[in-house]
Amino acid sequence: MNKSASVVIIGGGISGCAIAYNLAKKGVKDVIIIEKEYLSSGATGRCGAGIRMQWGTEMNCRLAKYSVEFFETANEVLEYAGDVEFKQGGYLIIAATEKEVAQFQKNIKLQNSLGIPSRYITPQEAKEIVPHMDETQILGAAFNPKDGHLNPFHTTQAYADAAVRLGVEIMKYTEVTGIKVENGKIAGVQTDKGYISTPVVVNAAGGHAQIISEMVGVKLPLYSERHQILVTEAVEPMQGPMFMSFSQNIYCQQTPHGSFIMGRGDPTEPRDLRVTSSWEFLEEMAKTCIRFLPPLKDIRMVRQWAGLYNMSPDAQPIYGPVKDVEGFFLACGYSGHGFMFGPVTGVVVSESILGEEHTIPVDALSYDRFEKGELILEPSVV
Amino acid sequence: MLKSTGIPNEKDLESVIPPKERLAKGPVAIIECFEKIPCNPCYTHCARGAIKEFEDINDRPQLNYDICNGCSICVSHCPGLAIFIVDETYSDTEALVKIPYELLPLPVEGSFVTGMDRGGKPICRAKVVKVQNPKFQDKTPIISLAVPKELSMVVRFLSLEDYYSDSTIICRCEEVTLGEVRELIRKGYKTVEEIKRISRCGMGPCQGRTCQQLIMEEIAKATGERIEDIKVHNYRPPILPIKLGRINGGEKNE
Repeated sequence: MNKSASVVIIGGGISGCAIAYNLAKKGVKDVIIIEKEYLSSGATGRCGAGIRMQWGTEMNCRLAKYSVEFFETANEVLEYAGDVEFKQGGYLIIAATEKEVAQFQKNIKLQNSLGIPSRYITPQEAKEIVPHMDETQILGAAFNPKDGHLNPFHTTQAYADAAVRLGVEIMKYTEVTGIKVENGKIAGVQTDKGYISTPVVVNAAGGHAQIISEMVGVKLPLYSERHQILVTEAVEPMQGPMFMSFSQNIYCQQTPHGSFIMGRGDPTEPRDLRVTSSWEFLEEMAKTCIRFLPPLKDIRMVRQWAGLYNMSPDAQPIYGPVKDVEGFFLACGYSGHGFMFGPVTGVVVSESILGEEHTIPVDALSYDRFEKGELILEPSVV
Repeated sequence: MLKSTGIPNEKDLESVIPPKERLAKGPVAIIECFEKIPCNPCYTHCARGAIKEFEDINDRPQLNYDICNGCSICVSHCPGLAIFIVDETYSDTEALVKIPYELLPLPVEGSFVTGMDRGGKPICRAKVVKVQNPKFQDKTPIISLAVPKELSMVVRFLSLEDYYSDSTIICRCEEVTLGEVRELIRKGYKTVEEIKRISRCGMGPCQGRTCQQLIMEEIAKATGERIEDIKVHNYRPPILPIKLGRINGGEKNE
């Protein structure tokens, strides 16, 4: 089965589906998404799905703010038959060290200047927002009531359904085995289901992005790292915001469904494509969670899993073209926040492909920043 | 009753049901032929001579239970579809009932159907263990159904409709109905994993112990795939829900 397309997007996660939707909305015909398994089977469907505007760089604040504003109306804009389950319970980011107190106060100033309604609060104020927390463990907290989380499967599905209505084709269970480049230009994509000739390929392959890039001879400065996560049984609503700490390494939210989803990073996690689960994670996670949120000790966890962070040197995404290979575009390197940037990814990458001016200036996130050495390091990452 | 409804009563059946001791030994034919009609293919096709020679072609067949080994040759040769094989040794809880079935489409091996009684009333959920349709059966396929043992003398027909209806809750943890799953399959979700992620079916504390099999059956029914070829969802630890306090050390898991 050989065919042709105007754009082939590799990866059926939030990024790939959002890019396809935006291209189709702008009138691009014959857009194909290739997905090795099923929609949101990779990092998107495995993530914590938190959405926050509380960042430490202006770029990330702007990207996140755009995404939050989109998510607020996603069900209507995408005309989704289901519900993306966006819950704006806020993000409570606790400060456990003096360094964090200073960093948060600086961050909040930046955030407020960009119209993000975050504020610094005392431990007692934090306790009022999350009554079951142990406020004696913290020095203060940053709180933004407009942050939240949503359901990654339904959000991706909403984009995919809208894209398909606009004519996008999604090839599930199809694996890219090679990308053909002729005279420095993209010529087509070889898959296990046949060849697709196309002048444009978008690499939205999440944890597999560096492998896809190698197919066109581009060595991205990215690596994938396992991050683990668990979910508990559903209980009565008791926690509004996402509870998070950078220094203590925890994020913990209660979904509208009632279950708690929590995760943490670990510097010793393997840097490859493994997504197996470990007992050590479980033990450390339970310990950290109970230390800050003691009543959660009586809730049963039902499942743990893992996904891949696609890590870039400055913990920021890479957006846009690669100058050595004409027609090859990047949407990867999210370093753990690709899901929440999905809406903005869709907009700016589709603009890059069509040569349009960016809605949000993202030139600083282009691939050549690594050559120029112009990195903007994000301080606020779990 | 038999004359007006065509359905035999208990007394009618007494004359054709083998003794308990014989049923305990393995498969045997149940010849539910109650009318004196000029017909004898059961006798002429029985290779073991288990059916007594007809003195008169109008005679009802007389089966020697000890010679019959339940081979089922007579089942497809009975023009009245009146012969069944019952094997009560199939499993500890189930009996195998072989039923002649001349309707299309045929059920799919491994799928679940509704077992019906002689009057056509839905009785139980039954698994299609085998569908036999070789040439010598001359377009009378034989369907082997696994049914609860106590219903071995009750189930005599089947309907392809599942015994469960659209409103049946198949995922008790997340309260997902069979109808919701069927709708997703119609929309193109053809794997357990996809259905699980979009519907939460199988995400609850039991992690899909009941619903997974049911989803696989529905997918098989819709796609014609064999159940054995359908991928199960990823199994993820732990096997049983465990309190976070217990993982943290010390507290007992109730």
